[in-house]
Amino acid sequence: MAIEKNYYTIDPQGKLKCFKCGVPLIKGKAKFLYLDNGFPVELPVCPVCGFVYVPEELALGKVLSVEKALEDK
Amino acid sequence: MSQIQERGSTHVYKVNKISKEEMESMVTRCVYEEAPFCNAACPLKLDVRAMLKAAAAGDFKKALLLYEKAAPFPLIVSAGCEAPCEQKCRLAERGDAVAIRDIEAAVSRYGKQSRLGTIFRTRKKKSVAILGSGLFPLFLAGEIEKKAYPLSVFCEQEDPEGFLRSAAAFLDEEAFRTELSRLKGKDIEFAFDCRIDAAFLEEKRQAFDVVCVSEAVLDRLVPGAAVIGELMFCEEEKLVSCRGEGVMAAAFGAKKAALTVDRLAQNLDPRNMRGSEDPFESRLYTDLDEAQALTRVPRSGAAYTEAEAAEEAKRCIQCHCEECMKSCAYLKHYKKYPGLLAKEIYNNTQIIMGDHQLNKPMNACTLCGQCTVVCPNGFDMAQVCASARRNMVSTDKMPLAPHEFALMDMLFSNGDAFLSRKQPGQDACRYVFFPGCQASAVAPATVKAAYLDLCERVDGGVALMLGCCGAICDWAGRYEMQESTREFLLSELSKLGDPVIIAGCPTCRKELAELTEREVLGIWELLDEIGLPEGAKGLDRPAALHDACGARGDARTQETVRRLAEKLGVTLTETPYSGDRAPCCGYGGLTAYANPEVADEITQKALERSDAPYVSYCMACRDRFARQGRESRHLLELVYGTDAGSPPDISEKRWNRLTLKNELLQELWQEEPKEMKLNYELRYTDEARKLMDGRMILTDDVIAVMDAFRETGEAIEDEDGLLVARRRMGNATFWVKFSIEGENAYLVHRAWSHRMNVVKREG
Repeated sequence: MAIEKNYYTIDPQGKLKCFKCGVPLIKGKAKFLYLDNGFPVELPVCPVCGFVYVPEELALGKVLSVEKALEDK
Repeated sequence: MSQIQERGSTHVYKVNKISKEEMESMVTRCVYEEAPFCNAACPLKLDVRAMLKAAAAGDFKKALLLYEKAAPFPLIVSAGCEAPCEQKCRLAERGDAVAIRDIEAAVSRYGKQSRLGTIFRTRKKKSVAILGSGLFPLFLAGEIEKKAYPLSVFCEQEDPEGFLRSAAAFLDEEAFRTELSRLKGKDIEFAFDCRIDAAFLEEKRQAFDVVCVSEAVLDRLVPGAAVIGELMFCEEEKLVSCRGEGVMAAAFGAKKAALTVDRLAQNLDPRNMRGSEDPFESRLYTDLDEAQALTRVPRSGAAYTEAEAAEEAKRCIQCHCEECMKSCAYLKHYKKYPGLLAKEIYNNTQIIMGDHQLNKPMNACTLCGQCTVVCPNGFDMAQVCASARRNMVSTDKMPLAPHEFALMDMLFSNGDAFLSRKQPGQDACRYVFFPGCQASAVAPATVKAAYLDLCERVDGGVALMLGCCGAICDWAGRYEMQESTREFLLSELSKLGDPVIIAGCPTCRKELAELTEREVLGIWELLDEIGLPEGAKGLDRPAALHDACGARGDARTQETVRRLAEKLGVTLTETPYSGDRAPCCGYGGLTAYANPEVADEITQKALERSDAPYVSYCMACRDRFARQGRESRHLLELVYGTDAGSPPDISEKRWNRLTLKNELLQELWQEEPKEMKLNYELRYTDEARKLMDGRMILTDDVIAVMDAFRETGEAIEDEDGLLVARRRMGNATFWVKFSIEGENAYLVHRAWSHRMNVVKREG
């Protein structure tokens, strides 16, 4: 089996809950898309409705730096 | 609300070429890299400025190293140097030229010789012979040895001492010994007691790749041989030689001859690729006001002591042109002179694949035009950056992120907040008042008072247009948006019957004059004509007038504003860099959006000029200065006795524009504005409000997220029991962390956004 590449992983460890579905978020597969580029990641996802959570630290940290790097391509 | 299309992909592999001529025409205007006047005058290409700097710092070893680079036998050269550099020294215009020759002599005498150059040497393959003795062969030997050719000198003297004496018998004993040891330390093979005749010459021609001869040897063996002075080359005989007398002629001749040897050794035509050899006139600009010590340090004896030479070297003002960098915080930030920065920015637009590392500097220039005024050659960084931005937009390589907020703000000004109405009760209007987007955003009460005053005191009717002049998209290089803004404004003006525009802002005035191709009045001109309204009052303490970059080159505006200030009773204090030379407040060119850090430095630089309160006539300047904590007033606030108070945050700026529009619609035109009330209560913690301002998140964005939450119920509940909802809008996803405070009320704790889109992945 091919090893799947993930650029970033966050495990919610049962600390986050989906407000709508009332279930804990799990580590799920997600993808960031920007300017015709895609990055597979693992983020907290609701197993029922599929809500993908991007925490503040991630948005203003890694995500922002990748955005900036891509913008100047 | 409308959206702006993000660039489709990073995979764009085309560029719009900038012609070399266009680039060169601009880049070469910058004289930063021009040689100082002394260097340019020296036939030996001595870096006089650097040598004086080292000597001034007491580093005679380094100074000597620099001198030896130009003159392999410094004591001989300094003894015979005619110092053309001193004649060109700019200090001579205010006092005494720097005593360069005396400093050279001290450097030659006191400087310790560095052995660095001779430790690791790889000799070249081609060999060179010098036949004869005298100044020229000695200097030539030094030059060729420097170039690392295996060199043999054949002379008639019996030892090195004799060889050196034949060249420099005039040296005193101490100097002679120093130069002798220098000569002996060089990588030169000597053959003494030679009988140099035709057969000897022929023999050396066979054995060596290049043969050089002294003038005496040449005349003896080839009487009447012609030497090309430019090359120091006798072409018929293929011999390198020199004609001329004296130390300088020999030293300069040796430089030229060494270059000819270099070319011949590589089997190249000695005429080509010689670069600039002769002294030249420098184009450098120097601010002589920096000169302080104008009189020469006297010599205590026949020559300078080490300390005296260092003292005299300190008088050198190290000629350099940094006029623009002294005045512009942007250039200072990037620590690059504009010729170089412009070249790099031009090159940035021509990158087909890879990182555009100069995007940030390109987008950080305020396009204010100050550099063009302070530069002795009119270097125009604004034109460089503006054309580079347009170029990048044209190839879809320009990132939207740095400018999107400002562009969206412009769409808001010309969308939801736009208002265009004739004066109530007037079928036709002679004028239309265009206060500008920042005026309505920062000081709505002032705009209202100004409009009411114009309606009352100006004949012929005054219409009102609240909107953006298009400067935002112009600055962003978005020429297509600029065109659509132009069409929109022209059509709105035409609906009003194409009245004469009264601009409230100098930048609007400039932009609108270009857009309509008609003359546009500034409200300051009208007020100067009709007089101040009742109650107009200046400040009770002296203030500094900050000239707007929109009024650069506009003497009439600058004068009128000063006259108005006087009429108001404002005592203006003089500031450096005023009028056409004024710096930008940091708002221009969208720097405040694209690079807040540089924008702050620019604002601070503008505020450095005075400790007094600042009075300006552009609302963006007023806002930027107030944000830095300085007491800052717009001239119109003084005219109308209004005070816009502390600066609004980004959401308040929008709110101010909307409420002004609605208020005026209701009060003047009796129109019911759109309902702006939320049907739920939304409050913010102070921290949230601060975060939002820094992150450019509007209350409107938060409301949109909360609307979505109320509709779908989608949110995350975190460990602390706070909820986090999100919504994708335009090119960004906005996240809001909040708590539910009762049935229909929410408290916002934090907000953030990102531009990347996140989706669930299957599999």
